[in-house]
Amino acid sequence: FLGAGGGNDIQWCFSQVKGAVDDDVAEADIISTVEFNHSGELLATGDKGGRVVIFQQEQENKTQSHSRGEYNVYSTFQSHEPEFDYLKSLEIEEKINKIRWLPQKNAAQFLLSTNDKTIKLWKISERDKRPEGYNLKEEDGRYRDPTTVTTLRVPVFRPMDLMVEASPRRIFANAHTYHINSISINSDYETYLSADDLRINLWHLEITDRSFNIVDIKPANMEELTEVITAAEFHPNSCSTFVYSSSKGTIRLCDMRAAALCDRHSKLFEEPEDPSNRSFFSEIISSISDVKFSHSGRYMMTRDYLSVKIWDLNMENRPVETYQVHEYLRSKLCSLYENDCIFDKFECCWNGLDRQVEFSVIVMTGSYNNFFRMFDRNSKRDVTLEASRENNKPRTVLKPRKVCASGKRKKDEISVDSLDFNKKILHTAWHPKENIIAVATTNNLYIFQDKMN
Amino acid sequence: MLGRGLKRKLSDYEENMAGLSSAFDSSRSLPYPLKRQLVLNMCLTKLQTYKMLVEPNLHRSVLIANTVRQIQEEMRQESNQQPVNICPGIAPSSHSYTGIESSGISLQLPSGISQQESNCCDLRSVEDPIENSLLIVSDDDMSSAISSILKDLDFVEDISPPTCLVPTGDDQPKFPENTVLKLEDDRQDSKGAECVFGSFEISNSTSYLKDLAIDDIFEDIDTSMYDSDFCCPPLMPPRSPSLATEEPLKTFPSCNSSSANNIQICRTDLSELDHIMEILVGS
Repeated sequence: FLGAGGGNDIQWCFSQVKGAVDDDVAEADIISTVEFNHSGELLATGDKGGRVVIFQQEQENKTQSHSRGEYNVYSTFQSHEPEFDYLKSLEIEEKINKIRWLPQKNAAQFLLSTNDKTIKLWKISERDKRPEGYNLKEEDGRYRDPTTVTTLRVPVFRPMDLMVEASPRRIFANAHTYHINSISINSDYETYLSADDLRINLWHLEITDRSFNIVDIKPANMEELTEVITAAEFHPNSCSTFVYSSSKGTIRLCDMRAAALCDRHSKLFEEPEDPSNRSFFSEIISSISDVKFSHSGRYMMTRDYLSVKIWDLNMENRPVETYQVHEYLRSKLCSLYENDCIFDKFECCWNGLDRQVEFSVIVMTGSYNNFFRMFDRNSKRDVTLEASRENNKPRTVLKPRKVCASGKRKKDEISVDSLDFNKKILHTAWHPKENIIAVATTNNLYIFQDKMN
Repeated sequence: MLGRGLKRKLSDYEENMAGLSSAFDSSRSLPYPLKRQLVLNMCLTKLQTYKMLVEPNLHRSVLIANTVRQIQEEMRQESNQQPVNICPGIAPSSHSYTGIESSGISLQLPSGISQQESNCCDLRSVEDPIENSLLIVSDDDMSSAISSILKDLDFVEDISPPTCLVPTGDDQPKFPENTVLKLEDDRQDSKGAECVFGSFEISNSTSYLKDLAIDDIFEDIDTSMYDSDFCCPPLMPPRSPSLATEEPLKTFPSCNSSSANNIQICRTDLSELDHIMEILVGS
């Protein structure tokens, strides 16, 4: 079945880059989440300033068969504002932690966006016609002199310049004491979950004034707290199943039919520690930063600090595959702990499915120095690519990069000590149906496509 | 608390920490106890920094606290095997962070390191400047540091529990009142290294929390009853009620409220005062 699959078989080309050019990064422009919608036509980003920017893909130009449509700005809006919690004397950050699209049901598009405390449902709709020919008003809005009205006419819709409006339709607030790290829409498309450090809540999209608490790992005595929730996701097909990952490297699968409060997991996925790799930082680097189901729902992928692991839902005691993202960092853990990089939360994503590739077979995740990595589960090959403005020409094939861990550095290799740890790629997304990927550096969004012949 | 009115050269400190951690990473000859101590110091420093933030990051705090506990457990097991008690509490001097500069230098001297490794406890002599460098702390102080941070997170964060629909099934929903009750029971039961009120711990002068003035520990408690007007010096005998009625408003000589002895004696006088009041009021 394989066809065009394969991290190395695909030749990735630079397509576009969005964002400011200067090196001086404005804090508010730091990209905090990236997500394609279900058709791939829309690409949303959220930033630290609480804004959402949506890009739309141009319709494919049949004559230009060598490239897919470009993404241009479609809508920009302020999703969340900074807030101040007067009761606790705390500022609530407006940074957008996650965006999740709803599947399209009518002409409008809907997405959920969340900051640390509040989730919002946004409706994005187009207006490209307006009524003209009112009887009592002129076109500019002034009222006509009634004595000049001698005939009646019916207003008609005439085309106008496209206007895209975003309006908040629901606000889901006051349900999270701790910081929200995940939202996930259920396959029933009516409910969704939101997870913070200690609790997971279930919402109905229509109901904002209450939610079910389905997971609560807060101990009675906070001093006994040793583990927090780091990510959660609904199963793509089974609407009563979800998983959540923890800071201790475990994943729990829960079935909501078993109990109202899912305190007892149905399955616990945990890999025993490798004693030869034990260090003071073992627990910290085992903390899972992202979990994503495969399209079929048979597998799930987790990201911890140094690796990506693929789990078979039928096997709890160890992952079926493990891919090392940047193993050369293992000997630098103390420095990375000291500068807090060890706490960076990298996300991961699966390839999209098209007619040729029907399975989740490639995984993509970010690293430092604006590098990102892809792993092909079938061929077992992997590649390191760089998101940089130096490869700026469209249809320029990206050159694979290599990091020299130790010993003599070959030409074109980069030594570990020259890596820029401020240039981190935490967020990546893969078009659901085509080989188009969106890669976010600190404040720029890169779009790459595979080379079409 | 660390940092209160205390200027330290942050850039120097950070440079030295970076130097130490890259020494940790690159040096194979660094002995294990020293590496462990270095990691422990970094953890405690981070926890201390988070404590000063309005809203510490719960995820990071938990990870760091676990690392500290892990090291603590390791050291405890080692000390159980060894006759000598490893690393009793030591007062970091106000120059403890500049002291790390000297430890940065000492790391380049292998002879100095091996001496530190084997004579961990002998380095407590004040004349040796190196011993101040590595913030050697006791079990209790580490536990109390972790406990107080996690406890503070609870107090700051979770004033109101999340709204939830009570399920109709057999499951017991978690009511906030139950959790509060359980918390109080646990506090009475908890003993040993896991001190509950970390910031209330009256340590001896050689503790990690040395910079805390006793007055600050009792900030939350209304100590007005123990103030100068009511306390008496230890040598004064208890007054008989009859004398007290003649001079009810006599101001007692002031005493230092931080003296535990005086507090005891003030309590005695306080009950006498109650007795006096009863007589005055005629109840």
